[in-house]
Amino acid sequence: MEIYSIGTLMDLELTKEHKMLRESVAHFIKKENPFDRVRELKKDPLGYTKKIWKKMARLDWMGLIFPEEFGGSGMDFSYVMVLLEEFGKGLLPEPWISTVLLGGNLVLMGGSDEQKEEILPLICEGKLFMALAYLEDGGGYDTRYCTTRAVKNDQGFSISGKKIFVTDGCAADKFIISARTSKGISDGEGITLFILPEKAEGLKITPLKTMDGRNAAIFDLDNVQVSCDDIIGIQDKGHSILAEAVDQATIGLCAEMAGGMETALNITVRHLTDRIQFGKPIGSFQATQHKAADMFIQKELALSSVYYATASIAENIKGKRQVISTAKAKCSSAYLDITKTAVQLHGAFGFTNESDISLFIKRAKVTDVLFGDAGYHQKRYASLMGY
Amino acid sequence: MKASYSEDEERFRKEIKDWLLENVPPEVRDKTLGGSTMDLDLMIKWHKTLYKKGWVAPHLPKELGGAGFTQVEQFIFNYEYGLSGAPRLKTAIVSLGMLAPLLLQFGTKKQQEKLIPDMISGEAIWCQGFSEPDAGSDLASLSTEALRKGDHFIVNGQKTWTSMADHADWMFMLVRTDPNVKKHAGITFLLVDLKTPGITIRPIEELIDHKAFSEVFFDDVKVPVENVIGEINDGWRVAGALLEHERLNAFPVGDLLYAVETIKTNAGNAFVDGEPLIKDKAFQQKLAEVEIDCNSFFYTFLRMLSKLKTGSQPGPEASLLKVYGAELYQRVMDLNIQTMGPYAQSWYNIDELGNSVHEASKGWINCRSLTIWGGSSEIQRTIIANRILRLPRK
Repeated sequence: MEIYSIGTLMDLELTKEHKMLRESVAHFIKKENPFDRVRELKKDPLGYTKKIWKKMARLDWMGLIFPEEFGGSGMDFSYVMVLLEEFGKGLLPEPWISTVLLGGNLVLMGGSDEQKEEILPLICEGKLFMALAYLEDGGGYDTRYCTTRAVKNDQGFSISGKKIFVTDGCAADKFIISARTSKGISDGEGITLFILPEKAEGLKITPLKTMDGRNAAIFDLDNVQVSCDDIIGIQDKGHSILAEAVDQATIGLCAEMAGGMETALNITVRHLTDRIQFGKPIGSFQATQHKAADMFIQKELALSSVYYATASIAENIKGKRQVISTAKAKCSSAYLDITKTAVQLHGAFGFTNESDISLFIKRAKVTDVLFGDAGYHQKRYASLMGY
Repeated sequence: MKASYSEDEERFRKEIKDWLLENVPPEVRDKTLGGSTMDLDLMIKWHKTLYKKGWVAPHLPKELGGAGFTQVEQFIFNYEYGLSGAPRLKTAIVSLGMLAPLLLQFGTKKQQEKLIPDMISGEAIWCQGFSEPDAGSDLASLSTEALRKGDHFIVNGQKTWTSMADHADWMFMLVRTDPNVKKHAGITFLLVDLKTPGITIRPIEELIDHKAFSEVFFDDVKVPVENVIGEINDGWRVAGALLEHERLNAFPVGDLLYAVETIKTNAGNAFVDGEPLIKDKAFQQKLAEVEIDCNSFFYTFLRMLSKLKTGSQPGPEASLLKVYGAELYQRVMDLNIQTMGPYAQSWYNIDELGNSVHEASKGWINCRSLTIWGGSSEIQRTIIANRILRLPRK
């Protein structure tokens, strides 16, 4: 019951400032990131370019939500939503979520003053890339599941274990990793967060390519040595920061997904209008019209859930985590349904890499499982609601 | 962007919620889920209670008997109203939800002052005469004709699926006043006193066994020309505006959420092998999926409302409310009846089987109509495709 009576009326309209940011990002994407670029970068091991990253930094996009004292603009989370929705419309592959939300934002939430002073300004200037390694085999999507161990020694800790699908793991200068310092493998308690340098001895990085052309990695850690200064926050107490950072990144991703849904729909509508068969545009047939209408409906529902989740984070409302699960479950289902239907409506052409829509179905599948798929979030929702 | 009520809004919400908690009688609340099956006497009694409080018409001006709430207050009111388990007023849905806003837009001041107060008080019950046996989704092909004879029309024809016709005092209808032009162009919006000689009402039995809607036959029925709303032959445009108003008040979100809470209660009482269904993991996941869609629907409503609040027109997201809301409500009813197990077979025998079974099974079959009336889901999707996505028509 509670979920409905918290913050149930709000202003979900964008302000003038939001719209200004949106226009400037849209303009940038149009100019710097046409779909040809997206296709080119699929073959590139990094999957993005430092040149574009620098341009983004110069536009002050890296430090959007970081405090001014660290070189940021001190804006609230709603600006992240606006930025990422535009990124998603154009499938911009630059690792903004990893570096800013999973890296910088996590340090901002739980790091020491020294860590913030060292890391945040570098991110704002476009000089530092980060990635977060928490996912493990056997853990599903749960941030509490951690078998990677950090054993205390004279110099600090020795970390051993395996992390899978570290998003943007090939491209980072610094990594944040969750490792267990006490308690059982599924306990939230007993997890410690550490900062690792890329070239850490004992860290083997196996590059992976995701189906949408971005990079990820498997991390094998064999007695990687870290010092106590490398701990983010307090030993054994890292999980709440990890979970919060992942939750916020989840909504950032949802905003990106909602943008992708919009473009996928637009591409499909254009195809339905242009493609002639039986002497008519195929979009004049009811079967295709109704499928397109359902795509529209799903997109609007997903977008609305992103708006509300964004405002919930910005205001830190009670019941925020249920809202986040609502949004991710909805966006996961919607992006997949929309892109599957879109490919279908394109006929055989939809089944080619040449089609623009192919870029979106692949992104939909990858984003579906990042931070938990619909099934995971439905269960998490049920658990949070205490059914 | 903001995720919480303002202090004033919160105060208003509490006032509404508290009053409803105290004043919605259990015998009314117990019959809400079953839909149109509530006894008319019970409905009228509740209407009177609400009227005394001044809350029958949250959206209509105070001068005419409405509550005169702002858009935001209307939303808060309707939301809390639905959530409290109070039923939509069958005696006034069509008059207050559709005709009154239309009169405010197209009617004369005389028509407004003469007709609206009685709608609000419940003195005058209205019904809507649009559909005909050969004119359902293709409403513009209607053929009930109104022949002009000086200061009145002579109306001949038949309307069907007219809800509440057998209890109504008045009908607003669409008639053909010019058969020689294109079908949309010769239609007039007309108000008819159902006591006029020549009108025969024949109730039709719905799936829920009640005869809640009727066929209405017109044999040389005399209707004064002053009963036209808008201009003669301009009825299609007037009706279009009416459907817009209907769409905005479209889906009672509070009702939806009330139904979801009912599922949880019923699932908590449904034991299978010693465990209540609400603890079954598979059921929980299904419930979560439905509740997540209800939330998303609710947030879409809020986005629409936010636009209204800032003075802009509701965006295209408003179009999905009716089609998606109706199908969502059906999914909710599907899940609710699952909590009844084999009891789902019957909605009779209330004494032996209990009221929850009755409401769940009647509610389940009653909600089949949601995707049919007010523009079927097929029509809604075609509207979205043509008007919003601008897909070609031919």
